[in-house]
Amino acid sequence: MELITATITNLLILSSMYILVALGFAFLFSMLGILNLAHGAIYMLGGYIGLSLIMALGLNQWLALLLTTLIVATFGIFLEKYCFRPFVGDFNRIITICVVITVVLQTGVNIIAGTQILSLPPFAEGVLHIGPASVSYERIVTFAIGAVLLLAITWFVNRTKWGQQMQAISQDLEGAYLQGINVHRVSALATFMGCGLAAIAGCLMGAYLCLGPFMGDFMLVKVLMLTIIAGVGSISGIFIAGIILGSLDSILPLLVSGAASDATAVGILIVLLLIRPQGFFGHEVEM
Amino acid sequence: MLLEINGLTKYFGGLAAVRDFNMHIDEGELLGLIGPNGAGKTTIFNLITSMYKPTKGKIIFDGNDITSKKPHEIARLGIGRTFQLNPLFADFTVLQNVSTSFHLHPKSSLPDIYFNTAKYRRNEAYILEQSQEILKMVGLDKVENELAKNLPHGYQKMLGIARALAVKPRLLILDEPIAGMNPSEIDFTLDAIRKMQQQKITIFLVEHNMKILELCERVVVIDFGQKIAEGLPNDVRENKEVIRAYFGGERVT
Amino acid sequence: MERRLSIKGRRELTRPAVYAGLAVIVALLPLFFESPYILHILILTFIYIIATVSFRTIVISGQFPLAHAAFMGIGAYLAAMAAKWLGMSPWITIPLSALITAGIGMLIGYPFSRLRSLYYAMGSLFFGMGIIQVIYAGGSWTGGYSGLTGIPALLPGVGSKVPYYYFFLGLALVSIIALYRIEFSRIGTNLKAIAQSHVVASSVGINEGGYRILAVGVGCFFVGLAGASYAHYNMVLSCSSFNFMATLWLVMYVLIGGVSSFAGPIVGTIILIIIPEYFRDLKMYSPFVNAVILGIVVYLMPQGLVGLPRLVKSKFTERRKTKKVNHAS
Repeated sequence: MELITATITNLLILSSMYILVALGFAFLFSMLGILNLAHGAIYMLGGYIGLSLIMALGLNQWLALLLTTLIVATFGIFLEKYCFRPFVGDFNRIITICVVITVVLQTGVNIIAGTQILSLPPFAEGVLHIGPASVSYERIVTFAIGAVLLLAITWFVNRTKWGQQMQAISQDLEGAYLQGINVHRVSALATFMGCGLAAIAGCLMGAYLCLGPFMGDFMLVKVLMLTIIAGVGSISGIFIAGIILGSLDSILPLLVSGAASDATAVGILIVLLLIRPQGFFGHEVEM
Repeated sequence: MLLEINGLTKYFGGLAAVRDFNMHIDEGELLGLIGPNGAGKTTIFNLITSMYKPTKGKIIFDGNDITSKKPHEIARLGIGRTFQLNPLFADFTVLQNVSTSFHLHPKSSLPDIYFNTAKYRRNEAYILEQSQEILKMVGLDKVENELAKNLPHGYQKMLGIARALAVKPRLLILDEPIAGMNPSEIDFTLDAIRKMQQQKITIFLVEHNMKILELCERVVVIDFGQKIAEGLPNDVRENKEVIRAYFGGERVT
Repeated sequence: MERRLSIKGRRELTRPAVYAGLAVIVALLPLFFESPYILHILILTFIYIIATVSFRTIVISGQFPLAHAAFMGIGAYLAAMAAKWLGMSPWITIPLSALITAGIGMLIGYPFSRLRSLYYAMGSLFFGMGIIQVIYAGGSWTGGYSGLTGIPALLPGVGSKVPYYYFFLGLALVSIIALYRIEFSRIGTNLKAIAQSHVVASSVGINEGGYRILAVGVGCFFVGLAGASYAHYNMVLSCSSFNFMATLWLVMYVLIGGVSSFAGPIVGTIILIIIPEYFRDLKMYSPFVNAVILGIVVYLMPQGLVGLPRLVKSKFTERRKTKKVNHAS
């Protein structure tokens, strides 16, 4: 019973975290065509800044979470303006600049805090008992935050004017320009939100698991997998792919040990990619 | 008959782009396929050259069933083509575009190419010579060292034709060869096509500009993926169905 | 005759003397640098040069495989395991492993070659990751997480690095010449044609699927060769040398040097390996050196380092032109 509740909560948390980060990644990709390989590093940065605020300023986790989000999101805007926008369309230079950003962030964090094993304090204490099952409040809260954010983002993209402009840009950049949409401003907004989401996920995962200078690499790989399976331009696709991936990562380790479970997950994804290369939910992309 | 098309049908989803299309071309003919925009002309071309697979029907070239062959195999059998949107080897020069297209004739084997044998060098010299001759014939010899992407539109289309000629085709398929050209370019192209016909190349072209009729010996007209008329250019020009397709009547596109 | 047809042909072929001179200098380096550590770095440079040039051979066909380091790993582990568990001689395992790596590459390349650009890149990325996981899962056969040790040496009983230096120098030269020949023959032209428009290429009879797989096969052969040789030199293998980050760095070496020129990968590899070595004392800070080099090239040199002479020359002529104008007025 313990195992079942633990697995279920793990599944929910992993899925929602993957989706949060993948959404941010997808925003940048579908709007500017940029494969932000530095997104993992931004996620990691969020976690560490959150911890720093808590430790250095003695803030409680919630305030730190809020502040971290603002800081990282703003950082994202600068990244977009000075590092991504000049190179839109030039695949090679985008990869290079992303590697630069990743290396700088990872090395910097590694130097400052690399050798210690750190984690954020939990966002809630205590255990909830429902009949025979017991779940820690921390897990519930973590998942709740993720779920609320996802609902908010979904509402934002579908119901607000800004969100619809974002959708327009992702479907037809030139058309959006011609319609008078301020592409630069909307892109900046999307980056702001995307990096903010990654930062929040970084803090939450930093509390749920632990922090590490290279935790971004792990998350980036998950996000790439997710995006490919989901396809471009479909938010519901990201949700579904996120749940699939979260499920694989929670359940497979129970069936197959250690490295073999990772290998199996990758194997399944390769097969999916070969069956339907453009993803299962998005629209076709001519490259 | 050099090319025979039987019962060709192609569905895209639920939409029939081509439906039960039959036609043939005899060796040495200059045949035109005309019809309004969206009638299915390019689809038929793409079906012949295996860019698409037909839903139904057969295409037979010189006795061989080519319906399911791959594009490069079709080139090997002797069909050369141009494309409507005219993709080219953009970063190659004009000369390189043509010389690269001489892949098949003469064909050097991989070992010959890699080890730079005498045979390979002879072939390359021959290819160079032939490329320059083709460029002269289509009037591009002055710009042979220009990058293809820097050429003006009309020149690019001529380059497309030059490239197709390098395949030493028995059947040359031209997809809208004079689209987007100004009158002098059109005259020049029509002249080049006449020259090719004199060299005994069978030519099958697609156009929606009626001016091409001056060249054709025979014309097939299609609309909505089906043949609506066939015959001599003058007869077709008078045909009521054809006039309706182009100029009047209700069109539901 | 062929000179007029190849793209950079004229520039590359009128400098054989310079290249020969460079080769001689490189061959004489061990006389000046006796430190085994420096020789080790140079050997690694040679190995990575083979890897990056072979990577570029695949790239010119329009494919961007994000698993190249994984194939180096395949080559390395196959050779190491064959030598260690089957007792085969390194002189056999190295070419054999290269061939098998090429075979695997072509087998995998076949289904992936139908994918275009982005999806190909992603698919190969996942494949690379999968390979790493397979190696981890290999238990004591592959050494799992802790790595494989006790691999038989190429030159058993030889303590000095100098013979290894010449072996790898020779290997690198042979590989460079072999890959050069591919690029500047009709094979290379066809690959570049496929990259520009596979539709046109197939319409002139180029078997685009076949050529793509050929490119992958050749690229994987040489990177497998490099990996296998590395295994028998280092005698120890660790999985993390062949993961996605390793592939990404190979890509960086190529991009920094300049992906549109044959010499690009060579220049990029040398710069990004040798220069950080000067800053080796910075230890933890040394990745910053790489980042700085990457940043400079990205912002200032779009053509990569190979384009530097041209860039400098154009800035020079620009300044002279404005000087002339100023003098005239």
